Amino acid sequence: MAEKETPAIILQFAPLNSSVDEGFWHSFSSLKLDKLGIDDSPISITGFYGPCGHPQVSNHLTLLSESLPLDEQSLIASTSHGNRNKCPVPGILYNTNTVESFNKLDKQSLLKAEANKIWEDIQSGKALEDPSVLSRFLVISFADLKKWSFRYWFAFPAFVLDPPVSLIELKPASEYFSSEEAESVSAACNDWRDSDLTTDVPFFLVSVSSDSKASIRHLKDLEACQGDHQKLLFGFYDPCHLPSNPGWPLRNYLALIRSRWNLETVWFFCYRESRGFADLNLSLVGQASITLSSGESAETVPNSVGWELNKGKRVPRSISLANSMDPTRLAVSAVDLNLKLMRWRALPSLNLNVLSSVKCLLLGAGTLGCQVARTLMGWGIRNITFVDYGKVAMSNPVRQSLYNFEDCLGRGEFKAVAAVKSLKQIFPAMETSGVVMAIPMPGHPISSQEEDSVLGDCKRLSELIESHDAVFLLTDTRESRWLPSLLCANANKIAINAALGFDSYMVMRHGAGPTSLSDDMQNLDINKTNTQRLGCYFCNDVVAPQDSMTDRTLDQQCTVTRPGLAPIAGALAVELLVGVLQHPLGINAKGDNSSLSNTGNNDDSPLGILPHQIRGSVSQFSQITLLGQASNSCTACSETVISEYRERGNSFILEAINHPTYLEDLTGLTELKKAANSFNLDWEDDDTDDDDVAVDL
Amino acid sequence: MDSAREVSDGRLTVEGFSVASRAFADKWKIHNQSFPPWSWVPLINRTLLVSKKEEGYLSLEKIIILSSLEEEIPEDESLNVATDCLEKEETVDHTILVPTMENEAHYYDFHIVYSASYKVPVLYFRGYCSGGEPLALDVIKKDVPSCSVSLLLESKWTFITQEEHPYLNRPWFKLHPCGTEDWIKLLSQSSSSSGCQMPIVLYLVSWFSVVGQVVGLRIPLEMLN
Repeated sequence: MAEKETPAIILQFAPLNSSVDEGFWHSFSSLKLDKLGIDDSPISITGFYGPCGHPQVSNHLTLLSESLPLDEQSLIASTSHGNRNKCPVPGILYNTNTVESFNKLDKQSLLKAEANKIWEDIQSGKALEDPSVLSRFLVISFADLKKWSFRYWFAFPAFVLDPPVSLIELKPASEYFSSEEAESVSAACNDWRDSDLTTDVPFFLVSVSSDSKASIRHLKDLEACQGDHQKLLFGFYDPCHLPSNPGWPLRNYLALIRSRWNLETVWFFCYRESRGFADLNLSLVGQASITLSSGESAETVPNSVGWELNKGKRVPRSISLANSMDPTRLAVSAVDLNLKLMRWRALPSLNLNVLSSVKCLLLGAGTLGCQVARTLMGWGIRNITFVDYGKVAMSNPVRQSLYNFEDCLGRGEFKAVAAVKSLKQIFPAMETSGVVMAIPMPGHPISSQEEDSVLGDCKRLSELIESHDAVFLLTDTRESRWLPSLLCANANKIAINAALGFDSYMVMRHGAGPTSLSDDMQNLDINKTNTQRLGCYFCNDVVAPQDSMTDRTLDQQCTVTRPGLAPIAGALAVELLVGVLQHPLGINAKGDNSSLSNTGNNDDSPLGILPHQIRGSVSQFSQITLLGQASNSCTACSETVISEYRERGNSFILEAINHPTYLEDLTGLTELKKAANSFNLDWEDDDTDDDDVAVDL
Repeated sequence: MDSAREVSDGRLTVEGFSVASRAFADKWKIHNQSFPPWSWVPLINRTLLVSKKEEGYLSLEKIIILSSLEEEIPEDESLNVATDCLEKEETVDHTILVPTMENEAHYYDFHIVYSASYKVPVLYFRGYCSGGEPLALDVIKKDVPSCSVSLLLESKWTFITQEEHPYLNRPWFKLHPCGTEDWIKLLSQSSSSSGCQMPIVLYLVSWFSVVGQVVGLRIPLEMLN
């Protein structure tokens, strides 16, 4: 052949690179979890590659979901056979169960074992029947399925020929072939690539006859090509894009050629494409000289190399797929999406950040507490703290939607504990905690021994209210709402109150505290007479509602209620809070009345009107909104009471608890006394009450 | 009005989607030769033995976007454990080409899937690096033309969400379809003199002329004829 004087240049091959589709790791994780368990025997897998189709980017050997043994669940028809860009290559996966065993794997032996298989296939002739075995590969991996991270390392075993193959010449195929030949070669290649039978056969023979007609044949048909053909080339799908180097598959191809046919010089054809057609400008043709060193016999297995480099270093690769595999993260993004959709579609001005950052304190984890918590989660609220003293009783789970039968077993789980567990099960991203604690109540005298613990509870409750943004009063007694109402008014926190009768309910929001209002008045310089703060639960017993409700003391019957009430009232309570949070004036928002305002969205609040109180009855299937201003002689939120609390602290609370007439004396009211007198008649005994034992003392 | 050939309410049937998909893929092949063709991926319905109509989705995969910036991914130090031994053991081989630093290629896959609940096509997509690592949405936004980013910010119709791909059961990004019906109606009103009907064979082309822009895939005007 020509150019014998040219000094020998060592032929250098561009390494093959791996690419592992996310789907492979997903499928592998399922396989590992569902089927393999701790079995770490090697798994036969299939890699895929195709000829390079981009002038600047090489192709990779790719692992896909279908690289693993067949999964019957797959909806998508197997497209691996006869797909032009997915020529199957056999491989083996060694997955270890620990990172230590991954690091300890004897990589040289593993590589050698795979290289030996290739060598055997060359010797036995199997490589001629199925040349894809020449590109056999192996992968070692460690799958940390708890963290959804994968460490892996590919090897593409290649024989090191001694002496190395020297390159005689290498040029673009378009320069090597005459234009008639090029046309015919392109056409023949396109036919080969278009046929389902041959498109995924990556090694082939190209013969060009003296009349410039090209034909492509299988490797095993070499003898048929050795006739009057002018040119015979060993073609292969080259994954490499480089203009002056062939890709990795050529290495073992040349080893095969040397061993099977004992040829000294060969022409090779690096087949590359653009836009799915043969591109002879990108494709290369080269002539190489392969000689056996004197002492070597064909039977000796040559040394092999092939561990893939990671950015030029001999280290494994790693990938983390927590974002697409961690079910908690997926749940979070799905929940966020749902709320975003609501904003996009219906409420463009909805502020979701306010909702996700608000901290809610739920006093009482009974029927109302459970419903409120569920509806809060629906609105994307993430931070919920429960305060409850009771345990889950056998009758509870059917009405209290966070509990199950299991929670009642033994002596019953504390509701504050069971509710937290339940929220986490519903949505793992919840930040939630439970406090098992009774709420101190006026009119329930305590002994001097109990004083410390009651005052401790008061302090704890006060701290809890300080550290939250909104407080729900959902206990089952009237008097247990007094101290939280006072503390909310003192700290100027949003308080939402819900109470149930047998077939009627009341849901309201408390107004701002008295001191904060006077601060705001100074700051905002608003005319005092125009803005009155809204009343609290206790104001309304004094100030007659604008529309008189007959059932004024409906909350006093709440242990027996129609089961539909708690979901209705709980849901309204949350909607009321969301209204306050979305309102520009927040806690200071005035009370709207449904009959006075438009029902549609208004500019102030995208959610519609923001009432002060909602009262409803399921016996009449009716619901009305009410407005009541704060009372100056309220036992919970009036300036008199708040300043007394600020001045006297614990002694004020003790006095209120131990002397029912004290608050009355302080504010000049008899209301609380009347109500306190009726407690024993209307409330079931604490010990036998199994329904809403939210708070007792 | 022939419901099998025209769309008047902005919505497609499954059969219509199949017809429109093929028409779109054929036009794409003729007018958009710088891109690989869309291929139809048929689905095997294992629950219903009788396959009523051909169900499937359109797929355009491995679209390469080159970025000259080599992004430095923080190295996992633990990977360097126990690698020295290999250095010594592996044969030194001069026939391995030492690769030079190259452009970082980002790969994009696009699927057009029929949404049975919205009765419109939905564009699903994902991006990944050459090694297979998925690209985060903020990286993807750097790859798409800046006009797409502003389109996303301004338009009420085109927002990207991450949801489970209906057939692959892995999270992919998608352009949410909840506005599609409405703007398709607008499109058909403006483009057609005879009321608001749109030939089914043009449905996907018109649809893609809008959604394709969001992900930086423009279609030649000739496709709309």
